[in-house]
Amino acid sequence: MNVDAVNAALLQSNELLPEALDISFKPIPAVLVIAMLALFLVVGYLFKVADTEGMWVAGRSIGNVENGMAIGANWMSAASFLGLAGLVALSGFYGLAFIIGWTAGYFVLLIFLAAQMRRFGKYTAPDFVGDRFNSDTARALGALTTILIGFVYSVGQARGMGLVGLYVFGTDYATMVLIMMAITVAYLTLSGMMGATKNMAVQYVILIVAFLAAVYVVGLTGGYSTVLPQIEYGALINDLNSEFSEPFANSSFFLWIATAFSLVFGTCGLPHVLVRFYTVENEKVARQSTVWGLFFIMILYWGAPALAAFGVDLYDASQYGPTYAAEGGMSGGEGDLIVVLAAQLSSLPTWFVGLVAAGGIAAAIATTAGLFITASSAVSHDIYTNIINPDATQREQVLVGRATIVVLGAIVSVTALDPPALVGELVALAFSLAAIVLFPMFFLGLWWENTNRQGALAGMIVGLTIWVAAVVNDLIVPFSDLYGQVFPAIGAALVGTPLVFAITIAVSKATEEPPEETKRMVRQCHSPEPMSRQESAEDVATDGGETPADD
Amino acid sequence: MTQNPSHEPDDTADDLAADGGRPSPPSDGADGGRPSPPSARTDGGVAEREADVDYLDTEINILKPKTPFMRDHLKQVWAGFVAWTILTWGPVTATFLAPELMTQELPIIQFPAHYFTVAFVAPTSSLVLAYIYTRRRARLDEKYGIDHSTPAESEGGSSPPEEGAAVSDGGEAE
Repeated sequence: MNVDAVNAALLQSNELLPEALDISFKPIPAVLVIAMLALFLVVGYLFKVADTEGMWVAGRSIGNVENGMAIGANWMSAASFLGLAGLVALSGFYGLAFIIGWTAGYFVLLIFLAAQMRRFGKYTAPDFVGDRFNSDTARALGALTTILIGFVYSVGQARGMGLVGLYVFGTDYATMVLIMMAITVAYLTLSGMMGATKNMAVQYVILIVAFLAAVYVVGLTGGYSTVLPQIEYGALINDLNSEFSEPFANSSFFLWIATAFSLVFGTCGLPHVLVRFYTVENEKVARQSTVWGLFFIMILYWGAPALAAFGVDLYDASQYGPTYAAEGGMSGGEGDLIVVLAAQLSSLPTWFVGLVAAGGIAAAIATTAGLFITASSAVSHDIYTNIINPDATQREQVLVGRATIVVLGAIVSVTALDPPALVGELVALAFSLAAIVLFPMFFLGLWWENTNRQGALAGMIVGLTIWVAAVVNDLIVPFSDLYGQVFPAIGAALVGTPLVFAITIAVSKATEEPPEETKRMVRQCHSPEPMSRQESAEDVATDGGETPADD
Repeated sequence: MTQNPSHEPDDTADDLAADGGRPSPPSDGADGGRPSPPSARTDGGVAEREADVDYLDTEINILKPKTPFMRDHLKQVWAGFVAWTILTWGPVTATFLAPELMTQELPIIQFPAHYFTVAFVAPTSSLVLAYIYTRRRARLDEKYGIDHSTPAESEGGSSPPEEGAAVSDGGEAE
């Protein structure tokens, strides 16, 4: 197993500034980006909400194509728009683990969780864990995990926005991170989920147009492709350095599988993805919008390796090349910006490169918005209202939610000033956490009615411990080679998730079965009988009564 | 393994009876408000027979489905999952096991086979499988007379959809 390759990639990321990037203030791209941000604020304002239902789940009124676009925009962050092509360019065949990891999970989500989650009908992931396992401790652990995921994931976005901002505004990296995060936070505190969801459709259109424009135009001007760059780049692969495509040159088979596994099952455990299923009319729309969502995601994912191949070829030919040099070569910062760089190195006009850059910013803002909304509801709804102050008024809840967004924005900005990894890698860490801690709870909680509180608590605590230790070992204070090999931070779920499953099942079997109401709630999630829009499984199973937590 | 072979199609009633240690809920009282699915179809009587099942009284176990609906649904789920496992993890595993064979150039598109199957075929297969599953699941809904387009009104004070629609208009409520 080649941990060195990963460490090397991580070290590379310290070369933060992309040397090949033209850093200067560019008026037309700047106007484009500012106009786009203004548009987000206007849409957000028009659909602003003042009540909690609207703040978090958009009144459950979103249709399937629109929700599919929201799934796509929410999903495709700076990690997809920028980081993915960067990983494919820098890590070669290993980068493809991210393509599979960030798409294939939607099928698992669709067949096992999407409709059942919609029928469960609760606001947030911690709500699910808390209500299903009848435990405020589980709710708090779920909320903590949600916040951690939002944090790690957003650091990647802030890095992406800062780097792209450099191209457009040309100041320095730190200033760009701070400005971009300030805009995101301002927009979110003004608009809430409804505005964010309406914006996501807009953001999806901007980011996909920008990305496809880059793929097609760079392919055409470079003479690489004509009508189908997503397939035509294949002919280029054998002309590139063998590092681009040689199997397992940059990682072992184990690390490849572990990474893809973590991303696939992380997809099924990410709270900001699941919350999208609460925003739809019924379970049928939940299923259809998953398919639409995956389609909208694939439109970008089919093109990303093509753009990576074009980018590597252009970089090789430029004064900065070759890409895979022992000394120098493409830096982490340049890899993260390969999408923008490819357009710049093709000598395309600055307004066009600016459009691509704007797409990157739209991608980052859309996802950060989704993450912050989810994290803020974890604090205000799950921790504050459910545990600290059950009598909280709606106004207090919204206030706490907004304060959370501001505080989280500040912490993320500071961390992003010196991020420990590439955009794609940072985001992958969040996935491995979701795959280890939340996915087993969702899956067992919905598919095995005898999963109980003790089992869930044991599983979540073990899962959190495995992940924290893996991140500390890989990125902060290395303490064990063996641990790093079994639980590489990015791929900790391959061994971690089955372990958490086993522990949850064993402890549940060894302890008392959950109460009958809980079982009825699980059954209601699978019953074929239609439910009304505002109804939750708990309403049906307990005839509308709230069940207080057991602990 | 997708099914517990010991379950005959008609043992649902036995399972329900075997559950009998649990007092059956006063189903007319607790659930009676919920209309049963529109089961007045005549296509083989499946819907009608399912209408007799109280889903809130039937155990959920992914390995041992207890109702005909769950059995049919899980058949689709597991078939999809097996296909997905092969298509998603097959190409990369084949590349590991037979690198020589997999790195050969494909005719016409000139891709190295491993790159094309991993970067294109595997992720695209998830989309195709998702589409097929959704179609088949919709047909299953039809077979069991499930219609989500006219959601059942809940009993016991849930807000009617109209109220939700007002809220969803963007907070005009306040």
